[in-house]
Amino acid sequence: MARIDLDSVRKIYPGGVEAVKGVDLPIEDGGFVVLVGPSGCGKSTLLRMIAGLETISDGEIRIGGRRVNDAEPADRDIAMVFQNYALYPHMSVRQNLSYGLRNRRMARDEIARRVEETARILEIDAFLDRRPKALSGGQRQRVAMGRAIVREPAAFLFDEPLSNLDAKLRVQMRGEIKQLQRRLGTTSVYVTHDQLEAMTLADTLVVLNGGRIEQAGRPLDLYRHPDTTFVASFLGSPAMNLLSARVSGGDLRVGSLPLAARLPVPDGPVTAGLRPEAFRLLPDSTSGAFRLDYVEELGSTRLLHGHLEGQRLVCQMGIEHPLADRMTLDLDPEALHVFDAERGRRLDTAWQRAQIRSLA
Amino acid sequence: MVENRPLLTLLAHLALIAGVAVVAFPVYLAFVASTHPSSAFLSGTLPLVPGDHMGETYSRMLFSGVSTSGAPPLWLMMTNSLIMALSIAIGKIAISILSAFAIVYFRFPCRALAFWMIFVTLMLPVEVRIVPTFEVVANLGMLDTYAGLSIPLIASATATFLFRQFFLTVPDELVEAARIDGAGPMRFFRDMLLPLSRTNMAALFVILFIYGWNQYLWPLLVTTDESQYTIVMGIKRLANVADADPQWNNVMATVILAMVPPVLVVIGMQKLFVKGLVEQEK
Ligand SMILES: Nc1ncnc2c1ncn2[C@@H]1O[C@H](COP(=O)(O)OP(=O)(O)OP(=O)(O)O)[C@@H](O)[C@H]1O
Ligand SMILES: [Mg+2]
Repeated sequence: MARIDLDSVRKIYPGGVEAVKGVDLPIEDGGFVVLVGPSGCGKSTLLRMIAGLETISDGEIRIGGRRVNDAEPADRDIAMVFQNYALYPHMSVRQNLSYGLRNRRMARDEIARRVEETARILEIDAFLDRRPKALSGGQRQRVAMGRAIVREPAAFLFDEPLSNLDAKLRVQMRGEIKQLQRRLGTTSVYVTHDQLEAMTLADTLVVLNGGRIEQAGRPLDLYRHPDTTFVASFLGSPAMNLLSARVSGGDLRVGSLPLAARLPVPDGPVTAGLRPEAFRLLPDSTSGAFRLDYVEELGSTRLLHGHLEGQRLVCQMGIEHPLADRMTLDLDPEALHVFDAERGRRLDTAWQRAQIRSLA
Repeated sequence: MVENRPLLTLLAHLALIAGVAVVAFPVYLAFVASTHPSSAFLSGTLPLVPGDHMGETYSRMLFSGVSTSGAPPLWLMMTNSLIMALSIAIGKIAISILSAFAIVYFRFPCRALAFWMIFVTLMLPVEVRIVPTFEVVANLGMLDTYAGLSIPLIASATATFLFRQFFLTVPDELVEAARIDGAGPMRFFRDMLLPLSRTNMAALFVILFIYGWNQYLWPLLVTTDESQYTIVMGIKRLANVADADPQWNNVMATVILAMVPPVLVVIGMQKLFVKGLVEQEK
């Protein structure tokens, strides 16, 4: 078990692609960090640099305080779980688990003990002598996890380990990974592009965009106070509504509709962010600004798709609320996020923080 | 595809039987001829059932040979052929799997050049380069040796190419997982690539063994000593006697015996061979 530190780490692939553009990230001992972001944002590259599978172009990576830039993957005391599992096809499950230990010349009875122990934890004892070919996807996934656990490394690295599983199994394994990590207390770095997986697993959530950290922090903090429109729209499903708006004299208007007043925000164009579940719509057939287009039923809630002042808006509310073609917004101004219109940075951070403090 | 239509099955069997007959009948004739005295073959009408000279002909050919046509005993020639075929097959596999390993997994200067040079040699079979090769072998004093028989035939672009193609299908993640598990290059080769190429090696072994066993031109050139003759040369020598009719029973016995080792190899390796041709272990 160890902490991992990334100091202004950069990766420039041969050919000039700069996949990681200066990442600083301290990972606490025993922490569970999830790297999330759209395809091509450099998540895998960053993880593989920690693993030692990619060279580090610039900056420094330390595992347990030791600089590992030039260390071989095997000498970094890490274990990795791959998306396609990468089990050794010609070896039995038992041999798959023990291969790394045998290469480290560990004593036989110790290997046997660890394999048994791991198999018991992951409930794969029943097929220790089978080849990977004779296992289901979920079982292979467990074996891949087992191969990491049995090594008792300082850190686990996961690269989208669940994306080859069906939806139901994914949810189940997600829970198991979380519990297992808690129990073993092993520092973990987990890459995914699934924001739900990221939110549920992470102690620390790191949103990457174009090779840079967009925002890092506790999942709920990121959800509640996204620093940028990118984070705001990436986390949460359905995604946050982002409306073009204008502030003048502290009043925020979308088109001609006033949404909030007395904002400590300079005049000019802004982007107003509204979580679909953070407001309600009330029927108002005469003056309602929201025009309902269609409704998606989700069971306990429904999604209302429509337009507000010519901009698309989605609202999520309970099925008990009445519907109408035109509706008005019932909005708590605190639910409103205000971003710089050009660069997408949050403008009202200080104000929002003060609000939170006064509530607490 | 599993079909269950009796008529189709019958038809398929008939076609297969016809095919087998076309291939097997000449072999059967050769066998029959080898069991009759030599006069039977020359009389014009070939008997269709085996005669009673089998034991006599075969033991004579195997253990004493026919000195008049300069053919040593068959067991000696077969041993020579076996050594040559095994060295060629094993040598080819060993060299090409190693070169494919180097080309696929290591970054070294002129790697592409090395690959293309190997590839270009595909266009230069033994027959084309036979004179310079003979010169080299002669200068090295390897005439009339097993080394001279087999080494010049060992380099193989085809096998290198096949192994390269196979290695390219091995997923990168497998290589990386092994690296994280502490396997260096040679251990990766031994623990992953070798076992994974098992079926490919078996298929290649069968093909290359037969290739080596059937070599004719090269052994003819580099061997002058009777004790180094190979069985394929022996057949030719027996059939090609000056001023006399060939002893067909002897020739046919030699042919039949010459077929036995390749057949045994094919039968022994059949399961792996077919696996190597049709499926790749994932
Ligand atoms: N070997 C390579 N050579 C050059 N560029 C590369 C190489 N590998 C990745 N890249 C580039 O680096 C960037 C980041 O790639 P990376 O694989 O880290 O993305 P990712 O965030 O893991 O995406 P995904 O979610 O699709 O897996 C991409 O633009 C990709 O094209
Ligand atoms: Mg990736």
